[in-house]
Amino acid sequence: MAEFGWVLWLTTSLVLAAPVVLAAMGGLTSERSGIMNIALEGKMLTAACVTALVANATGSAVVGLAAGVTASLLLSLLLGLLAQAYRMDHIVAGMAINALALGGTRFLHQRFTDPDRAAEMAKLPIELYFGLALLAPFVVALVLVRTRGGLRLLAVGSDPEKSRQAGLRPAPIRYGALSATGLLCGLAGAMLVTNAGGFSDGMTAGKGFIALAAVVLGGWRPLPTLAACLAFGLIDGFQLQVQGSRLVGSGIPSEFWNALPYLATVLAMAFLGGRTRAPAGLGRP
Amino acid sequence: MSGRIIALIVASFGVVVLALSTTGVLPADAMQQLFRGSLGSPRAISNTLRETTPLLIAGVAVFLALRAGLFNIGVEGQLVVGALSATAIVLSVPGPLGVVLGVVGASAAGAAWAYPAGWIRAWRGGHEVITTIMLNNIALFLTRALVAGPLKDPDDQAPTTAMVDATSRMPWLFQHDNLKVNVGLAFGLIAVAGLAFWLRRTVGGYELAAAGANPPAAQAAGVPIQRVQVRAMAMSGAIAGLAGAVQALAYEGRFYSGFSPGYGFDSLGVALLAGLSPWGLIPAALGFGILNQGSTALTLIGIPRGLTGVLLGLLIIVFAALRYREVKRG
Repeated sequence: MAEFGWVLWLTTSLVLAAPVVLAAMGGLTSERSGIMNIALEGKMLTAACVTALVANATGSAVVGLAAGVTASLLLSLLLGLLAQAYRMDHIVAGMAINALALGGTRFLHQRFTDPDRAAEMAKLPIELYFGLALLAPFVVALVLVRTRGGLRLLAVGSDPEKSRQAGLRPAPIRYGALSATGLLCGLAGAMLVTNAGGFSDGMTAGKGFIALAAVVLGGWRPLPTLAACLAFGLIDGFQLQVQGSRLVGSGIPSEFWNALPYLATVLAMAFLGGRTRAPAGLGRP
Repeated sequence: MSGRIIALIVASFGVVVLALSTTGVLPADAMQQLFRGSLGSPRAISNTLRETTPLLIAGVAVFLALRAGLFNIGVEGQLVVGALSATAIVLSVPGPLGVVLGVVGASAAGAAWAYPAGWIRAWRGGHEVITTIMLNNIALFLTRALVAGPLKDPDDQAPTTAMVDATSRMPWLFQHDNLKVNVGLAFGLIAVAGLAFWLRRTVGGYELAAAGANPPAAQAAGVPIQRVQVRAMAMSGAIAGLAGAVQALAYEGRFYSGFSPGYGFDSLGVALLAGLSPWGLIPAALGFGILNQGSTALTLIGIPRGLTGVLLGLLIIVFAALRYREVKRG
């Protein structure tokens, strides 16, 4: 590739942003209900691994996706259980789930991947995931402010104690929110592995945390969060494009471009953060 | 013990036994292999202590931040930045002076790497979990670029620095046949004692614990919360950098791409398992050292390494559930 392709940049960026959008919407539903969710990464990773393994084993992309989403859903409910029933610190519980996911996927991948068949994973069309990612922010936005369940979720998230006094029960509402989180993160993970064509250890590479950063930068609102995810996609697409074309600064090592999305996230947190406010009930039982 | 906790422990056991059953290894055999591989011979014990060293020092780093109410998930990045700094310094200034400079440089580098996360948390409200993870990834790429470029050993194919001079290694404290204990482990023990003293007996330590335990109350009592948070994060990073320096100068003798197999991540488990007192870090680090060293032996009988990560997650869950009970009762 000799020159910088604008069209290719934009399309790559959208493909890169889509799983982050799905995960970020999952994080948003969870956090707006009051469950701090740093386990997005682990859920995506688990979904990616299980989707690939089951799709390979059964030869069916649909069964693979269903299994991957189910795995992510179960991890999401585990977070709810630890946070609600065991009253565990949300960050500790989230990190434990990330450790489980990182170790568990490594274990499953090593134990069950058939090296001879790894190349021919049954896949659903990437456009399907893409469409879902495009839809998700608007659906989440509508559900949160236009439906009874969504409003209850917001109430529980901003003041669990007062909503209890008003007759709401935070636990079931939060389990519902976490189910949505599990579903969305499952789709995000399945999209990652579909796009990559196969599972590799730690393939989420911090995308779950970037999604979380997008939620924070978007002020816990769906459409600004979508914008943050798209900005991230543009940066990630840009660095891939630059590396592919070797157009800009051939003296700059490729590692700089690899680090660019993470660097941009830190800078955004430093210079754009602090203007938004977290849901008041975040982290409270 | 309440039914809930028992259910959690039984479920955790179930997960491990289920995972083992897929490999066809009996749990009892796996246990035996794990302990034989980590404690069964003088060489195995030496390796376990070697593995314990970075976990202990990095555990101190995580524990300190945790006391200030901060989750320093960035120990991984601070550790590799520190290790590379120490190696680079010692390569240009060999000998004992170089080691001292290397340790100081590594701590400074670790602190510098943690500082942005503390600053963003204190003054911008950006959560340190997100920023430290981002900084980990940046550190990984930065150190990889450096050992593949300006700091690369020209005589080696792989991205690595040259070996440091034999005079610039940290000495063995005790050496008898295959049983070896490096002075690095003593650094870890001193760090634990130092932290225990600092938290209990100094104004700085008291302010840090107060800021972590109840920020509004501490603020009302005149503790400058933001400054304490930034300081705690920088100190935590400095200790993580020290862990990297020890790992590089005591054991590895060089820095290479892929230097840390996840010490930063494991040290979070060490700090969470340590409980409320810094002294708990010693058994916790030893336990993880045994687990890490033993898992190498487990791979020999066909158990994938990922099982350690699963165990780490389950241990954190069970201990956190138990700890909550203590707090509630107390």
